[in-house]
Amino acid sequence: MMTKGKSKTPLKLGLLLLLCPLLLWLVLLVILPQLTMLNISLQERIAPRIYEYGFSNYIEFFTEPLYWNTFLRTAVMSIIATVLTLIIAFPISYYIAKMLRGRAKGLLLVLCLIPFWVSELVRTYGWMILLRESGVVSSFLQYIGMTEGPIEFLYTDATIMLGLVYSSMLFMVVPLTSTLESLDDSYIEAGYDLGGNGLSVFWQIIVPHAKPAIVSGCIVVFMLTLGNYLTPILLGGKSSLWFTEQIFTQFITRFNWQQGSAFGVLLLSISSLIVWLGLKLSRQSFSKVMS
Amino acid sequence: MLNHTDFDLQCTDLVRQFDDFTAVDQVSFAIKKGSFFSILGPSGCGKTTLLRMLAGFDDPTSGDIFIKGKSMIGVPPNKRPVNMVFQHLALFPNMNVSENIAYGLHRQGINKVEIKHKVEQVLARVNLSGSGQKKISQLSGGQKQRIAIARCLVLNPDVLLLDEPLGALDLKLREHMKVELKKLQQEFETTFVYITHDQSEALVMSDQVAVMNHGQFQQVGDPQQLYFQPDNAFVAGFVGDSNKWSATVIDILSDSLQVKTTTGLILYAQKSNEKAFIIGSEVEVFIRPEAIHISQVSTAKADQNQLTATVNNILFDGANSQLLVEEQTSREEIKVKLPQTAEFIHLKKGDNLQISFPKQQVNVFPKLQDK
Amino acid sequence: MIPSIPQSALFKSSFRLYAFIFFAFLMAPLVVVAVFAFNDSMFPSLPWHGFTWDWFFSDQEPMLGLFHDPQLYQSIATSFLVATCTTVLAVALAINNAFLFERATFRGKSVLYMLMLLPLVIPGVILGVSILIMSSSIANYFDDVWAIDIELLRPGLALVVIGQFAFITTICTLIVAARLRSFDLSLEEAALNLGASKLQAIRTITIPYLLPAIIGAAVISFLMSFENFNTTLMLVGSDSPLTITLYDRLREGATPVINVVSLLLMLASVVLALGNYFLTGRKSTVK
Repeated sequence: MMTKGKSKTPLKLGLLLLLCPLLLWLVLLVILPQLTMLNISLQERIAPRIYEYGFSNYIEFFTEPLYWNTFLRTAVMSIIATVLTLIIAFPISYYIAKMLRGRAKGLLLVLCLIPFWVSELVRTYGWMILLRESGVVSSFLQYIGMTEGPIEFLYTDATIMLGLVYSSMLFMVVPLTSTLESLDDSYIEAGYDLGGNGLSVFWQIIVPHAKPAIVSGCIVVFMLTLGNYLTPILLGGKSSLWFTEQIFTQFITRFNWQQGSAFGVLLLSISSLIVWLGLKLSRQSFSKVMS
Repeated sequence: MLNHTDFDLQCTDLVRQFDDFTAVDQVSFAIKKGSFFSILGPSGCGKTTLLRMLAGFDDPTSGDIFIKGKSMIGVPPNKRPVNMVFQHLALFPNMNVSENIAYGLHRQGINKVEIKHKVEQVLARVNLSGSGQKKISQLSGGQKQRIAIARCLVLNPDVLLLDEPLGALDLKLREHMKVELKKLQQEFETTFVYITHDQSEALVMSDQVAVMNHGQFQQVGDPQQLYFQPDNAFVAGFVGDSNKWSATVIDILSDSLQVKTTTGLILYAQKSNEKAFIIGSEVEVFIRPEAIHISQVSTAKADQNQLTATVNNILFDGANSQLLVEEQTSREEIKVKLPQTAEFIHLKKGDNLQISFPKQQVNVFPKLQDK
Repeated sequence: MIPSIPQSALFKSSFRLYAFIFFAFLMAPLVVVAVFAFNDSMFPSLPWHGFTWDWFFSDQEPMLGLFHDPQLYQSIATSFLVATCTTVLAVALAINNAFLFERATFRGKSVLYMLMLLPLVIPGVILGVSILIMSSSIANYFDDVWAIDIELLRPGLALVVIGQFAFITTICTLIVAARLRSFDLSLEEAALNLGASKLQAIRTITIPYLLPAIIGAAVISFLMSFENFNTTLMLVGSDSPLTITLYDRLREGATPVINVVSLLLMLASVVLALGNYFLTGRKSTVK
C-alpha cells in the first residue's frame, strides 16, 4: 500500500507537467481562437462601435449571390480538383509501387516529393512564367506555328484547376504508393490465376485494398484545396472568386471582421463536414487518416 | 515423344536463367493424371521458380510446359487450366468466404444461380458448409487453408499448384492438414503439384516426389524409393535422418566394400552394380539411426557390421528417442534409434552396448562436389 | 500489371510514357523558375537574351541583384528569425507531447489526441485569421480597460511565430511520437536496472534514440515556417518575411531577381529535405 501511494504522486505530477504545455497551446492557439471567431461572427453592428448578437452576417451570406456563389464555386472546384488528382495520381502510385523495383522505385518517389519541399509561392510562380501571355508555352506555340499571336493561359478556371491539382499531387501519391506497396503481389497473381483479367483484378482486388488510402488522400486534398489561397489568386487573378479570398477581403481590405468571421466559420464547417462524411463513409478513424 | 494423354503435366528440358544464375536447369518430368506430385528441396533450389513457371508468372528461358498435351508457352496465367494455392494463401480480405470462392466462377461468366450452387457444393466438400458469409479474418488457420484450396478446386483445374501452404501453420495443425490435403486430393482426383522444403510433408502425402537441388531434379520416385534407395549423396542426406561420414574406400571384396571414416571407423557396405569405386575413392557414407540394432550382448551374425560402443547421451523424445553412442576404437559418435521397450528402459550414460547393422543398410556415394 | 503478369508491349510503353509526362509536369515549373534566373532581361520570360549572373550580383539599377537588394535580404533574415523561433517552440512542445501521448495513460487521452490533430484540418487562412481576431480582442480589451497597448498582440512577427507554431507543432508531434512508439521500453528499464534515475535514463537512452526524429522534425518545421504563406499573410505587420515580400513583388510585376531568390530557396530546401530524407528514412518526410 505504502509503495503504491508513493509511486503514484510523482507520476501524477509528471503527467501534469506534460499536460500543461499541451493544454496551453491547444486552448490558447487552437480552440479559443476558433471560439472567438464564432463569437465575433454572431455579432451584428447596429450603430458605430455598438454590437448585438444576431445572425445578420450569416443572412448576409445567403442573400448576397456573390458570396454564396463564390462559396459553392470553391466547393465544386475543390471536389473536381480532388477527383482529378486521384485519377492522375493513381497510375503513378501504381507504377512506383508495383511496376518498379529497387533503385528506380526510391528515386521516383523522391522525385515526386521534391516539388513539395519547394515553397508553394515558387511553384505557382513557375506556372505563371509558363502560362502567361508572354510565357514559355505561348512563345513555344508561336514558334512552332500553332498560333499567330500570343495566348494568355492565365486567369482561366482551367489554369486554376491545373495549379490546384499540381499542389495537391503529393498528398495523393504518397499515401497511395505506400498502401499499394503493402498489397502483396500474390493477391494480384491469385486474381489472374483464378481467371481474372486486368480490369476485374483492378476493381475487385487493387481498388478495395487501396480504398483507405484513396479516402484519406481525398480528404486531405479536398481540405487543402478548399483552404488554398495562393494558387487561385495568382493563377486566377481577379476572376478567381475563391472563398478564402473573400475572407481576406473582409478582414484586411474592408475591415469587416464580423462578416469575415462568419465566412471563416462557414468554410471551417464545410471543411469539417466533408472530412466527417468521408470518415463516416469509409468507417475510418480521424487519428488514423491524419497520421 | 511421350504419350500426352496419360499425363496432366509434362515439362521438357525446362530452363530458367537469371542474369548469371540458373534457377531451373534442364528439368524434365511428367506427372500422371490424378496423382500427388511433390517437389522437395532446400530453399533456393529453384522449386518456387519452377512452380511460378507452371502457373505462368514467369517464363522459361527454354524448354516447354504441356498441360493435357497443350503447350503453355505464351499462355497468360489467367488463361491456363491450372490454379495455385499461394504460400500465404492470398485470400482476398475484402471479400467473404463465398465471394472468394465465387471469384473465379464469376470470371468464367457463369450465371449467379449456378455459382451459388457450386460454392455451396464445394464448401460442403471441404467440410465448411454454412461458413459462406464469414469474413476471412474470422477463419482459423486450417479453415483458411481449406478455403484457399476450395477456391481453386471449384474451377476444376487440370492441375493444382501448391506453394508450401502449410508453412505458416503450427506443428499440430500441420500434421493434421497433411492428412486432410491427401484426402482432399483423393476425393477430387485432381493432380496436385506440391512444393515444400519439409520432407515429412512430401513423404506423407505424395505418390511421387522429386528431390531438387541447384535447379536440377536429383531423383524422382515414390517416397519409399527415396528413403531406402537414394540415388546420390544429396538425396540420402536430405531425406530422412542419417549418420553421415566422409570416408575412403580401403578394400573391395567380392560383394562388399570396406570403407574407413576420417576418424578411423571401419565399415562394410554392400557393393552396388551401378556405382563403381576404386580403392582410395573419397566417399560419403550414410546409415539411418533406425537401421542400427542395439543389444546388451553380442549377437554377431555374418554379413553384419558389429561394433562395441558406449552410451554418451540419451535424447528422449517419446517414440523418436535416440541414443548418441561412441564407438570404442575410433571414438566416432553414432546416432542410434532407441526403442522404448522394457529391455532398454534402464539404460544410462556410460553403459556399454553392442551395435550392429547389415551392410545393405550402409549407403556409399561418391563425394558430393559442392557448388 | 506487375512484372510477373505478362503484358503487351503497348501497355508497358504507354505506362512509361504516362510516367514521363507526369514527371515533366511535376518538374516544369521548377525548371523554368531556375532557368530564368539567368536570363539577361528585365522580364522572366522569352525571348532568351543571354546568360548572366547580374540578377545575383549586380549593384546597378535597374538590374539590381539579390545581394544588393536590401528589401529582399532583410526579409530573408526576418524569415530566418521567424523560422528559428517557431522551430524551437514547436520541437520542444512536440517532444513533450510525444511523451504525453506515448507514455502516459489518463482519461480523455484519445479525445485530447484528436484535438491535437485539429490544426491539420483548419485551413491556414482561417487559423491565421482566428488568431488575429483573438489577439486583437485581447489587445483591445487591455487598451479599453487599462489603456495599455500590448504591441506583441498586434499584427507582427510575434503573431506570425504564434500562428505558425499553432499548426507546425502538430506535425512535429506526429514525427517524434512515431519514433517514440517504436522505442523498446526494455532499453529504458535496463538503464534503470543499471542504476540510472528515471530522468537520467530518458536523457541518456531515450533522447539519443529520438534524436533522428527530433532533427527531422526540426528540419520540416524550419522549412514549413520559412515557406509558409497563408497563415503568415493574415498575421504579418510591417516586417515582412520572405514569402510575403516575394508575393508583393509578384503582384507588382516580377523581375528575374525573384527567380534568383526562388532558385536559392529551392536549392536550400531540397538540400535540407534530401539530407533529412537520407538521414532519417523516408517516413518522416510526409506532411
